[in-house]
Amino acid sequence: MSAHVVVRDLHKAYGGVAAVRGVSFTIQPGEIFGLLGPNGAGKTTTVECLVGLREPDSGEIEVCGLDARRQPRAVKQKIGVALQATSLQDKITPREALRLFGSFYEGRVAATELLERFALAEKADAPVDSLSGGQRQRLALALAFVNRPQLVFLDEPTTGLDPQSRRELHAAIARMKADGHTVLFTTHYLDEAEHLCDRVAIIDRGRIVASGPPQELIAQSSASQAVTLVTSRPVDATKLTALPGVSAVTTDGAEIRFQTSHATATLAALTSLLTAQRAEVVELQVKKASLEDVFLQLTQEAKA
Amino acid sequence: MNAVLAHLGVSLRLHFRNRMALLYGYLFPLIFLVAFWVLYRHEKIPLLRHMGELLTVAALGGACFGLPTTLVSERERGVWRRYKLSPVPTWAFVASTVVARYLIILTAGLLQLGLALAIGMTFPEHPLSLFVAFTFVAFAFIGLGLVIAALADNVPAVQALGQCIFLPMLIIGGVAVQLAALPAWAQHVSAFFPGRYAVEAIQGAFTGRGLAGARFSLLALALVGFAGCLAGARLFRWDAQQRFANLRGRAWLLVAVAAWVAVGLIAEARGRIAIPVDKEVSPPASQPAPAPAPAPAPTTPLATAPAPVAPAPVAPVATTPATTPAPRPLTPPPPAPPEPAWAKLTRADAEALDYQVPPDNGIVSPFAAPDEEPEDFMKEQVDGVRNKIATWPPGSDGDDLRCIRNLLYIAAVPDAIQMPVERYLPRVVYNHLIDTYPKEKLIKILTYIAQTPEQGMVITDISDLGIEGAAGDPMVVRERAYLYAIKMVARLTGRKQE
Repeated sequence: MSAHVVVRDLHKAYGGVAAVRGVSFTIQPGEIFGLLGPNGAGKTTTVECLVGLREPDSGEIEVCGLDARRQPRAVKQKIGVALQATSLQDKITPREALRLFGSFYEGRVAATELLERFALAEKADAPVDSLSGGQRQRLALALAFVNRPQLVFLDEPTTGLDPQSRRELHAAIARMKADGHTVLFTTHYLDEAEHLCDRVAIIDRGRIVASGPPQELIAQSSASQAVTLVTSRPVDATKLTALPGVSAVTTDGAEIRFQTSHATATLAALTSLLTAQRAEVVELQVKKASLEDVFLQLTQEAKA
Repeated sequence: MNAVLAHLGVSLRLHFRNRMALLYGYLFPLIFLVAFWVLYRHEKIPLLRHMGELLTVAALGGACFGLPTTLVSERERGVWRRYKLSPVPTWAFVASTVVARYLIILTAGLLQLGLALAIGMTFPEHPLSLFVAFTFVAFAFIGLGLVIAALADNVPAVQALGQCIFLPMLIIGGVAVQLAALPAWAQHVSAFFPGRYAVEAIQGAFTGRGLAGARFSLLALALVGFAGCLAGARLFRWDAQQRFANLRGRAWLLVAVAAWVAVGLIAEARGRIAIPVDKEVSPPASQPAPAPAPAPAPTTPLATAPAPVAPAPVAPVATTPATTPAPRPLTPPPPAPPEPAWAKLTRADAEALDYQVPPDNGIVSPFAAPDEEPEDFMKEQVDGVRNKIATWPPGSDGDDLRCIRNLLYIAAVPDAIQMPVERYLPRVVYNHLIDTYPKEKLIKILTYIAQTPEQGMVITDISDLGIEGAAGDPMVVRERAYLYAIKMVARLTGRKQE
């Protein structure tokens, strides 16, 4: 099956300032794809070009087999978008909003079905300004599904939500995958991207600096594991940097933290070093690197 | 089409759920109506001559503030950004927004009209013309609202821009202040404002010749509306982050401005700056009105309106003093003229007048007590009138009815202008009348004038009596003369003791 999204060499500038500089990626059918990046990296501009909110300066965008720049209206029939903010009038009700937006499409899902699916039936006739943050976000998701979309764009869907609402939303996104939907979502929360996405692309300063499955990115990263060590007496930290694979050493009294790309070799050498310095291990913790570590490393490398 | 109808339905429903929108859209026009009614409560048919102004204010408020406030606040909330994600084209959303606003403005106008009818106004002379004229007015102002929405980056900016257009249009654009009351320069300025044409087109349906007398106004409104809608649609912004200053195609704004300028220039070129005849005059009477059968006595504004006055048989307005009085007939006199209508009146007719007039110490039709002396700075004016009144041609040449009516204008004009001397001149006129005419004859003629205030010529300028300044609205002068006629009858018949 051909890719649901193909982006080739996308460029977009605002008043001479380049926001997106040659972004390319593909999203396969049924895939959950995360677009990550710090503020101002260009991810929002990229998504806005994809969904038809902005006209790119150059580049190619194919969505569901259609040229998005030439057939924007046909593309809009096939996609669903959940914006970050609820973006609805205060006094409209979920039922009215779903009916209204449903009327914009050739094929539509009944409002009652969506209200049930997104647990909004009880609030179906309540004005939007009386809904909780989580309910509003579920409504935003429901609106993305009014046209039975093949591809769903979620723009930072969990920003500002409490942990319970975030968890509910994660479940909803997991259901989308189970239902066979293709999803592109942007987020600031790298743990949820790591947990939910089949593949991610990290975008920084208008360019994609890394892409692939989260675990693969973590494995490829030099900052693969973090070590925290507490000893019975202070250890000379400068000697730690000489150990194989060690980087980013910081000390805080008896606690030492560092990164290692070769955990086994580092720990073997560390044992010898501690024995030589007659220091006992009080606490030792080895943690695999997270996507956040990879993200920070990549974006800081780009700055350097 | 489904999308347009659905959006239209939701727009209307949300409007009726928004208390502030209801306040601005419906309550304000009604407050204006009540204010106008209080202001002009002594007019024979309440509000009839002001519906052009009132309905224009309703349309202007709904379109100038209501429409852009809704559009800009929805844009700020991201609603329009969300709409843009749908496959529905821009024009469909703009069209349904425009139609929704038209229906809102139309209902506000109907509510205003209904209340006016409820408090005694007569039904419009040309209801279909009224509908057409109001639609043109709404279209013109909705175009203006779209332009304001395009210009304003946020809701406070809508208020600021709206006031910049609303207030000048009200004050010097011929909307709240009648054109006749404006100085010449302001009448020229008003030709460049659509408000003037809105008032003319709507008022024509109440007291004029309907659409036949409002062709230019309708054309002007259509041009302004079309240019506004075009510019508004071209400048339409989905996203609040887009600022007008950075918008491509800002030059489209010039299209809207050009329409206003073009309308003003055409009006200047066609000599349409002066108050249109259609507004004030119906049949082209050339002489003081013949004496028709006495009209029913004027009633209070709250009572059912008497015989229609619109289009009233109003004589032309004399904006300068009558300097060429009708010559007195030379001998031999013609065969005995038919008995004038006023001669047939009786004390019963005088008693039947409506004596619910404003108090003598009020702002409207004040009347100084016999022993009340003017302050020093006014004495010269009062003495000047007292000395000249007996030989003032409009008050001494011609038949008695015309002379007495003209003499009443000496009291009415300063009252209409609200001059400090206004309360003393009625006493001068009254004293002159009782010195000049037999009491019974005077009662009959004043009673007749009070019964037929719309007849005869109006004098709005009495500068030859040393009273400078002209009353802008001749109908106000007529109304004040009517009130003074009643007050004098009350004094002559003993109803009012002094």
